[in-house]
Amino acid sequence: MTEFLSGVALIGDPVTILWIMFGVCFGIVLGAIPGLTATMGIALMLPLAIQLETATGMAMLLSVYSGAIIGASVPAILLGIPGNPNAIATIYDGYPLTQQGRSAEALIGATVGSFVGGIGSLILLALFAPLIARFTLRFGPAERAALALVGLTIIASISGRRLAKGILMGAFGLALAFLGPDRITQTMRLPLPSVTMGTPLANGIQLVPALIGLFGISQALYDISRVKSGTFTPPQVSFRGSIPKPRIFVRMWRMMVESLGIGTFIGAIPGAGASIAVFLSYQRAQRRRAPAVEGGEAPQLGSGALEGVVAPEVANNACKGGALIPALSLGIPGDAATAVLLGALLIQGVVPGPTLFIDELPLVYAILGSLLLANVFMVIFQLAGISVFPKVLTTPVPILLPLILVFSLLGSYAVEGRAIMAASFNMGVALVLGIIGYFLKKNDYPIAPIVLGLILGDMLEQNFRRAMRLARGDYTVFLRSPIALAFLVLAVVSVAYALWSSRRHSDDSDTTHGEADD
Amino acid sequence: MLRKGMVMAVAFVLVAGVAYAAGPPEVEFPDPDETITMVVPFGAGGGTDLIFRELVDEMNNYTEAEIIVDNIGGAGSATGTNEVLGLPADGYTILASGAHTVTATLQGLTEGYRELEGIIGLNWDPFIVAVHRDAPWETFDELLADAQDDPEALTFGNAGMGGATGVLTVGMNLHFDEVFNVTPFDGGADLIANFLGQHVDIGVFSQTEVAEHMDEMTPLMIVHPERSTIPELQDVQTYQELGYEDLEVPFGSYRSISVRAGTPQEHKEALADIATQAFESDRFQNYMQEQGLLPEYSRLEELDAYFEELEELFYPILEAADLLDN
Repeated sequence: MTEFLSGVALIGDPVTILWIMFGVCFGIVLGAIPGLTATMGIALMLPLAIQLETATGMAMLLSVYSGAIIGASVPAILLGIPGNPNAIATIYDGYPLTQQGRSAEALIGATVGSFVGGIGSLILLALFAPLIARFTLRFGPAERAALALVGLTIIASISGRRLAKGILMGAFGLALAFLGPDRITQTMRLPLPSVTMGTPLANGIQLVPALIGLFGISQALYDISRVKSGTFTPPQVSFRGSIPKPRIFVRMWRMMVESLGIGTFIGAIPGAGASIAVFLSYQRAQRRRAPAVEGGEAPQLGSGALEGVVAPEVANNACKGGALIPALSLGIPGDAATAVLLGALLIQGVVPGPTLFIDELPLVYAILGSLLLANVFMVIFQLAGISVFPKVLTTPVPILLPLILVFSLLGSYAVEGRAIMAASFNMGVALVLGIIGYFLKKNDYPIAPIVLGLILGDMLEQNFRRAMRLARGDYTVFLRSPIALAFLVLAVVSVAYALWSSRRHSDDSDTTHGEADD
Repeated sequence: MLRKGMVMAVAFVLVAGVAYAAGPPEVEFPDPDETITMVVPFGAGGGTDLIFRELVDEMNNYTEAEIIVDNIGGAGSATGTNEVLGLPADGYTILASGAHTVTATLQGLTEGYRELEGIIGLNWDPFIVAVHRDAPWETFDELLADAQDDPEALTFGNAGMGGATGVLTVGMNLHFDEVFNVTPFDGGADLIANFLGQHVDIGVFSQTEVAEHMDEMTPLMIVHPERSTIPELQDVQTYQELGYEDLEVPFGSYRSISVRAGTPQEHKEALADIATQAFESDRFQNYMQEQGLLPEYSRLEELDAYFEELEELFYPILEAADLLDN
């Protein structure tokens, strides 16, 4: 009890609360700018944080982390451009909702989802951190490779009727993921190595510029072509009747609990990343859609269903608490952002790990308390912003579309901070993939499988080869591990279900299938 | 009129010529209004970053110009190194160089140290070879005996083939007739997670990593002629004490400061003075002691010569691991 009170005292002063408010605000703005990630925000604030008291500095950094994650959902919903990789799945239903004039509803859904994910994972962190952390250690290379395979099967469910095209795009994403150094042997896999060796391509294709190109630039180019052909309808900005009733969210409780579990658990596996969690939770939501509200047919996921925004946002924010589990209880960062947070703790002389929960209990309570406060302020600021954010859509299209293009290019440039060469290269990557994405969109190819291939290709290849190397070439390693075996079965079931579902829909030609609208 | 104009023009050219020949007025280096950027070619919060942040903090006490840290990670350390090589050789951009610069250069990812010149050498962060606390080995000899009984059955993890731990594990494996199954992981944190989960038998870690996880690790050997200065690790025997004097591998991570080749000599000397004062300060010396970093000071040309020695040490290991730029 004394430790708890000491922890509260560490963050209970007005100065710390002001820092938390500042951190959340800064994070939301940063996250809303495509290309600027939570990791970058924390790294930017690191020099400032280490000048503050340890608990205050950590509270500020955690607030930036929380703010940046919810902030990324704003452009995802309003413009169809994920602010950072965590918000990829939010665009599937968020952007269609905006196009239907229901952006406020989508933003509220994202806020509720984020709050549930944030607080839920915080509770799990407080209650079960050492237990979950120990369990995630059972995820070795074989288990992670199998998990990545499950992630790749999501391509089938998000491609809808365009299954063949989806698989082709997934393969394109995998090919992009394999560019750069072979992560096991460090051998370069590059076209024209004599030319490309000393260039940033030697480091492979970075995810954020690829995302900006494939979603931001391609969408702006596509809209420009539609403006030219006179088929473009600007999204409506209307607030009438757009506040969802609380009972709608209550009906989603099962889906929220599932997404919370997926997000917290995947977040706690070092190196798995939020992207796989948001897609997995979206896939689950697709299968467990809440019943239609007030009679009538509820919209299919992918065509503007609120569940499609809430599920990935719960998972996305749950990953944050999840990533802190191995970070605080084992000293192993769950993701890049928590790696910087750990660095901040180390600079202050605090060593994270099992002893943290014994030696520094007040600080642990202070960290949990500041996360709680950050989540509360996140809701307040986000709700306050809901009447402001959609105003961006009132910008005349001849100004808005070029602005999106400029910000997309700036965002891809900013990823590398002050590294001019790498930044210029990233801008080139965004532009080239933007143009490719434009032609793909025009020809009705889904874009998301490319991103899944790009994210999961690296995880699958590295872990598969590592598992094989550790097992000296014995493939049965994937069958001997109960976790890997369970994932392999899940992957097979997932593909079979998607094929069956796809065939059922194509048999019923009258039913319009909810394809993910990229 | 024409003649008068020509005289004026000639006079102008002469005056301008003299002014040009005299050059701009000499500005003291470092200009107090300018910022010196220390490019750390790794992410913020990592081991290398923390050491250089500590040093830069202290360096700011010895100059009026502001010195800041900029993290430019990627491609081992090549992305940050290439950025430094792309900026003017004026001393206002300095690189957190070291053993990582040598490996990145030999792999052909950057022109690296061939286009860099030394400011000062700092320290070695010697690595420790450890096994899981639940593993059956109490000594390195026992471990080696088992590895020799069934070659490649025991897995020896590193944090990435191109990095310092990768070079060390490959070098050790070569020395011991390739009895270990050397497996690279995706960075230090990934290696620790897999080690604690017992997916890999042996690991090579920094001293601070071992100190943090002492209750789950059995450290078997410190790869340095001197024992650790960290109290919890002072019982860990050196490779020489264990009878492996002929083991020729890099000790761990070596760190230094470099600038782009062609930087004026007086700028390099000024930077070396500032960095040396910070290095010799009580604060940085105490920090090194606490972190187990073993000082290896060198200055300007001495550091350039030291890099040549490192190249000789690293070359055969990278060649054996097939990591050399062909």
